[in-house]
Amino acid sequence: MNDQVRKLLLVGDNPFQGISHLSQERARSRGGAIVSPGGQAANIVLTSLKNGADGFSFSVSELALSILRTLRERKSIGQVSLYAMVPYAFEYVRVAAQTGTPGLVKSFVKQVTLSGDVGAMLEGLWSAVRMDPEGFVNTYLAYELSRIKSSAGKQAKLVSVLLNEVIGDMGLALDFDWLFRSFIGYLSKRRITPGFNTRNFPYFVKKFDEWGIDLDEILIVTPFNKAGFQMNPSKEECERTLANMSCPAVLAISVLAAGYYKPSNVVDYLASLNNLKGIIVGVSNEQQASETFKLFRERL
Amino acid sequence: MGSESLRKLRFAVIGLGKMGLLHASLLNTFEDVQLVALCDKSALMTRVCRSIFRARARSTGVVVVNDLDQFSELGLDAVYVTTPISSHSFIVKDLYAKGIVRNVFTEKTLASNYDQSKEMCEFAKKIGGITMVGYMKRFSVVFRKAKELLAQGKLGEPYSFSAYAYSSDFLGLTKDSKSSASRGGALRDIGCHIIDLALWLLGDLKVSDVVSSYEIGDSETSASFTAVNSNGLEGRFDISQRMPNYRMPEFGCFIECPQGKIDVNDDRLRLTLGDNSQKIWYRHDLKDNVCFSLGETEYYRENLKFVNSLLENRMCQPNFDTASKVDYIIDQVRKKVAKYE
Repeated sequence: MNDQVRKLLLVGDNPFQGISHLSQERARSRGGAIVSPGGQAANIVLTSLKNGADGFSFSVSELALSILRTLRERKSIGQVSLYAMVPYAFEYVRVAAQTGTPGLVKSFVKQVTLSGDVGAMLEGLWSAVRMDPEGFVNTYLAYELSRIKSSAGKQAKLVSVLLNEVIGDMGLALDFDWLFRSFIGYLSKRRITPGFNTRNFPYFVKKFDEWGIDLDEILIVTPFNKAGFQMNPSKEECERTLANMSCPAVLAISVLAAGYYKPSNVVDYLASLNNLKGIIVGVSNEQQASETFKLFRERL
Repeated sequence: MGSESLRKLRFAVIGLGKMGLLHASLLNTFEDVQLVALCDKSALMTRVCRSIFRARARSTGVVVVNDLDQFSELGLDAVYVTTPISSHSFIVKDLYAKGIVRNVFTEKTLASNYDQSKEMCEFAKKIGGITMVGYMKRFSVVFRKAKELLAQGKLGEPYSFSAYAYSSDFLGLTKDSKSSASRGGALRDIGCHIIDLALWLLGDLKVSDVVSSYEIGDSETSASFTAVNSNGLEGRFDISQRMPNYRMPEFGCFIECPQGKIDVNDDRLRLTLGDNSQKIWYRHDLKDNVCFSLGETEYYRENLKFVNSLLENRMCQPNFDTASKVDYIIDQVRKKVAKYE
């Protein structure tokens, strides 16, 4: 182990969701849209924890919630620090594809209503009357938190809620500082660390600096890998921005460049990024979970 | 001349669905562009967008309107049309007729049929502005690599191809889908991308036969057809929105040439030479980085191309004329289906 601060290691859920950013062919060959039913995925999460992972990072989808329910039933949920990414954009895009944007809105209103979160419903209604975007953000977050809590139970340790990059990067591009401030404000009041997933890390840091939003209290989830894959505008610029940060707020994703590298090929590169707070890495089975996290815990 | 003295290009976006917001977002990251107006006919979307853009409106003057006429006084350099396909033709003609703008970007497909496309091309020619249609797959690093390999000529003239566009969007749907119709059916929704790629990579094609077509409601959710060119190239297109396990739409093409084969899809290109040696390029190998990534990186490159064409006042591809060829092929397929029925 190097002499840096112990890195946070999280197991990610992309392989469970049938996602491969290397190739869709590869994801399909692993078994299609959903490769791991809740039980199998829960085993992989627990094996990862046994071998050095600190927590589980997931998009708030029905599959991820079923994994949380399994961990709760097995009385293991208390051991897992949870990092939830919202929204699970794929589900919303799919509904919009089939029913159009009005259908998506109706479906979302129905879900919030069925969630039984009276507070969220009332706030949503009030926000709709006032056309208050901050109110919509609060309603949405209340809804997602209620979904997580009802699946994971009271023992769960929800450490962070992260904004998906599709929404976050759009907000960044459109200069919607209110979106980020609302997100941070709502979660901070509930002692949950606000986080943001971005594929435009240097742009993100520059904007937050312009807006005067403190990076010390948030997490930034962004790709870091040897290939420079998804590192925009360039690998060098991302590395420079990371090195210049005053606090370690960054969790690296795509560290294996979506399966382009093996864990043993990337560990030296990751170790060289001193300012990283941690990494999120997906694994497809228990053997991979054991090998990957053992190696990363030992070397990072 | 210092950059401070250069006026920014003034852009507006019509249609505030996901594509409209994506283009508006990307354009807002360009130093040479000022996003000045957004338009959607839906009163609800206009209200929502006014509310979420309110802070920006104060600082930069972006306006959200629900009537095109309100664009007249804005001195626009270009307009993006990202409304449903069925409205492209009348919106673009309206923009030209009212003298609102000369330069137009339209999301794919250019129009609902070839007659409308032809009319739009004629209008654009008369106006003389720069046009572009959102066939963004041309800006993917892997498909660009395929184009580069074919252009080198070392593989020889292609003699056979098979191309596909698959998604799971309508897998399992049994009743009429209004959304499918508004998206133009499988041919216009996803098929158009692979047809455009094939035309770009292989040159002009003519539909020779329709193998199958499956319809839900008024629009097809799958179609297969064959095509040829005058040099003896033959190939087949398979397009479906009902394929299992296509989490995201996927596009691919297998091209056979005398000296080798190219197998390319959204993620990678596999080149097999005559001696069976292979080389694979993933996106990772092809410098897939952009200044600002939203959705796929090809969206940024596509917008960059349009913006640069305006700045340099030169033609842009794929323009209206080029894109009308896709509408022509789709019409040919639908005519053949109707004839068989």
